[in-house]
Amino acid sequence: MRWNGWKLGMVLVILLLVSGCGERRELETSAFVSVIGLDKAEQDHQVKVTFQISNPQVNTTQSAEAQKEPPSDIVTITSVDLLSAKELAQSSLSREITFSHLQTIIVGEELARDDLFKHIIGSAIIDPEMRRETIMIVSKERAQAFIHANKPTMETRPHKYYQFMEDNWRKTGFSPVSNLNAFFQRTEGELFLAAYATAERDPIGIRHDDDYSAGEVPQDSGDPVQMIGSAVMQEGKMVGMLNGEETRISQLLRRKNLIETMTAEFPDPLNENYQISLVLNQSSHTEIEVDTDRSPVKIDVKVPLQVKVNSNIALEDFTASQKRRDALREMVKEKMEEASDSLIKKLQENYTGEPFVWYATARRNFWTVSGFENFEWGEKFKEADVDLHYEVSVTSFGEQLSPPAFKKFEEDK
Amino acid sequence: MSDFLKRLFNGQSGQPEKGGAQGAVPKEAFSLVLDFNTKRFEDLFRYPLNSALKRRELRIPSVNRRAVVLFVDGTADSDKIAEQVIKPLMEWKAGRESADHLVDELKNNVLTISGRETVEDLNQAVAKLIDGSAVLLIDGENQAIAVDSAGFENRSVAEPTREIVIKGPKSAFVESSAINHSLIRRQVKDHRLISETMTVGTQSPQNISVLYLSHIADPQLVENVKDKISQADRDAILTLFQMEELLEERPYSLFPSTMTTERPDRAGSFLLEGHVVLLMDNSPDALIAPITFWSLYHTAEDQFLRWAYGNFARLIRLFALFFSLLMPAIYLAVVTFHPEMIPTDLLLAIAASRERVPFPTLLELLLLELTFEILREAGIRVPTPLGTTIGIVGALILGQAAVQANLVSPLLVVVIAITGLSSFAIPDVGLSVMTRIIRFTFVFAAYAMGFIGIALVLAVLLAYATSIKSFGVPFFAPLSPHMPSSRDLLFRPIIRKQWLRPLSMKPRDAIRSKPEGGDRQ
Repeated sequence: MRWNGWKLGMVLVILLLVSGCGERRELETSAFVSVIGLDKAEQDHQVKVTFQISNPQVNTTQSAEAQKEPPSDIVTITSVDLLSAKELAQSSLSREITFSHLQTIIVGEELARDDLFKHIIGSAIIDPEMRRETIMIVSKERAQAFIHANKPTMETRPHKYYQFMEDNWRKTGFSPVSNLNAFFQRTEGELFLAAYATAERDPIGIRHDDDYSAGEVPQDSGDPVQMIGSAVMQEGKMVGMLNGEETRISQLLRRKNLIETMTAEFPDPLNENYQISLVLNQSSHTEIEVDTDRSPVKIDVKVPLQVKVNSNIALEDFTASQKRRDALREMVKEKMEEASDSLIKKLQENYTGEPFVWYATARRNFWTVSGFENFEWGEKFKEADVDLHYEVSVTSFGEQLSPPAFKKFEEDK
Repeated sequence: MSDFLKRLFNGQSGQPEKGGAQGAVPKEAFSLVLDFNTKRFEDLFRYPLNSALKRRELRIPSVNRRAVVLFVDGTADSDKIAEQVIKPLMEWKAGRESADHLVDELKNNVLTISGRETVEDLNQAVAKLIDGSAVLLIDGENQAIAVDSAGFENRSVAEPTREIVIKGPKSAFVESSAINHSLIRRQVKDHRLISETMTVGTQSPQNISVLYLSHIADPQLVENVKDKISQADRDAILTLFQMEELLEERPYSLFPSTMTTERPDRAGSFLLEGHVVLLMDNSPDALIAPITFWSLYHTAEDQFLRWAYGNFARLIRLFALFFSLLMPAIYLAVVTFHPEMIPTDLLLAIAASRERVPFPTLLELLLLELTFEILREAGIRVPTPLGTTIGIVGALILGQAAVQANLVSPLLVVVIAITGLSSFAIPDVGLSVMTRIIRFTFVFAAYAMGFIGIALVLAVLLAYATSIKSFGVPFFAPLSPHMPSSRDLLFRPIIRKQWLRPLSMKPRDAIRSKPEGGDRQ
């Protein structure tokens, strides 16, 4: 009996040990996909999946450097969905494709505006290797073309480029931080903002500050790709676009702002010919109050905003007088409220829903989820009274208190 | 004893006859004839074949009697004998009545040496001779005087070699039990420091001293240790380290249940916590019983350094312990099972460096780990003049050549180097070797099941570690099971707050000093 127990135990231990072996894979036998591009294929219900696979032998360690190889391999497969494309790609790739380091999914605008998209992306998330923090970017052109065109000079390895770009978004707010997790959270009529990018230039001339969409920023030379503005997605489908400024404001109106600081241009309150550039950040969360008992719904939003003077082209001295400072504060408040009101108006006219996660605040007023669902927040938002207040405080006028005294000389002359 | 010597000197082997060497010396009384007595000693020591027995003949002038001083070469200090035995005898001016009680008179009033006693028979005299005493035989007396002239060669008290500190006392135990006693007494100046002497070894008896503080140590613990010692039934126990294994409850276990320290201050602090300290001749260490994980994890320096510095050192050591146990296993698990955990840049770098390595990661890791263990073992054995060779060979083979030959990937060298370095940071030799062995279990578990394997082995290891006891004290006490103590565990409080002895030791007196008002732990 004792021996039988031993034997049984040994068999169990061996079974236990062997059970994990199937999952084991040596690193050098895997192909790590860093970017996936999704496009509509010519045929119905087919997608073109583009894999950009990092080549570990380029620009990683000196000892294993392969001089003449490209930094990444780009393969496009047409298939019914992402996972079958992954399998099919294996017909040409020697290494086993893995998504464990997938960072970015690029969706061509054509597919994003199609009903097919939500099916494709919804089924892809089943793969355990798919990370939910993967960034989703909508490209104006086809994703395949975008990936081929995106050859940044500074970043040889593709994953690094997207990683740095995402870090940038947190500082500029030009694009929303849009990962798959947030996308899957907002599938029931709420608006989701995805970053919008293009490698094609479409200059529209000089506009005010950040009033551009991707491709419109006046830029000479440099990398072809521009990422600014956002694609508005509703129920897993792209329904519209916001430009850079609108995207920034929509970040500020959220309760929790994901953006650390942003720099924006404002007209100088003292001198109409000049602009003043200010660094905006938030010291505390935006306060949102939603009154769902009233009809139309009343939404109170209080946005605290800290302002630092970044560059003061008019060389006006704000530190000298309280009046000037008040003028600056009033101007920022006025401009921001104006821009926010027009954004909300645009949203109310064109869409049924909002991208500011205000629905989460509204939902608190209901006892049950179904109660909230019956309320039809999207429809109610269209008619809602939105009361916006910016609470602006100026915290700094730069390293030097007062601008240099060029002006005095001019006056003396 | 002669049997033992016979075997020792004549190279005879085999089982000694029942009764042992001591029994071979007849328990005979001395004769009144000096020459006869001397002859018997010479026979026992196989004189002149064996040159060990030395004798010095003399005539005591004042009573006009012949006498012989016998001693065993190498055990007795001949200067001491000349100065404190022979010289007084020669210079003695005897009174008239002294001739009647010559032996007593000589013993009490003539010999200036402090340790001396009368011996009645041969057996006793031989035992004394072996221990380093000189035996004085006088013509016409059937008693002999044994004088304590032991002069075994001793090295002087030196600095510790294993438990090195930057700040703190720098003396270490030596091979002489007497010196070790004095080193401890110098630390713990307390009349209640008991030193009980027991004898171990049936053929070649050695003294073992059991030290404890009678007002602190749990009497049951002391009894338990003494029981264990008396049960140690071996022909000869030459060192404390053999005793250590005989005392242990689980000789096959990887976890030690006793430890040795070469620092008198450490032994002293253990005594003050109610532990029992064992000392033995020939062993430059003190054996501590019982021990807990904390005894292995702490060093003497933790208490010498200021609070923050000492605790920082402990924190580093904690990291080192986990690195030493888990680092290669985690690397293996991450690389083969969970590549998503590595930052992409590092992942690509590892993948690139593994590109041309022909072995799977496990084999690569075992190869390097084995090489490192060999290097380590060789480093201890290598003669000092060749010491630099090890460094060159190690650095070249491990660091450069193996990588250039594509045998291992450079990152793995880093992993193994950190692991090796960490195992050196573990203070106790036992704990260090233990982690080195268990590390391989973790590696195989990681190879089979990734992180789940590591978690399973860690759970089993912890379960085992928390269940074992050393002389009745749980391994992780007083943390688990929790008992009142001064919380000198992973970190130490400031010394003012260490007013309570760990109750897991069941001390008779738990309070070190009256705590300040309201400052309860």
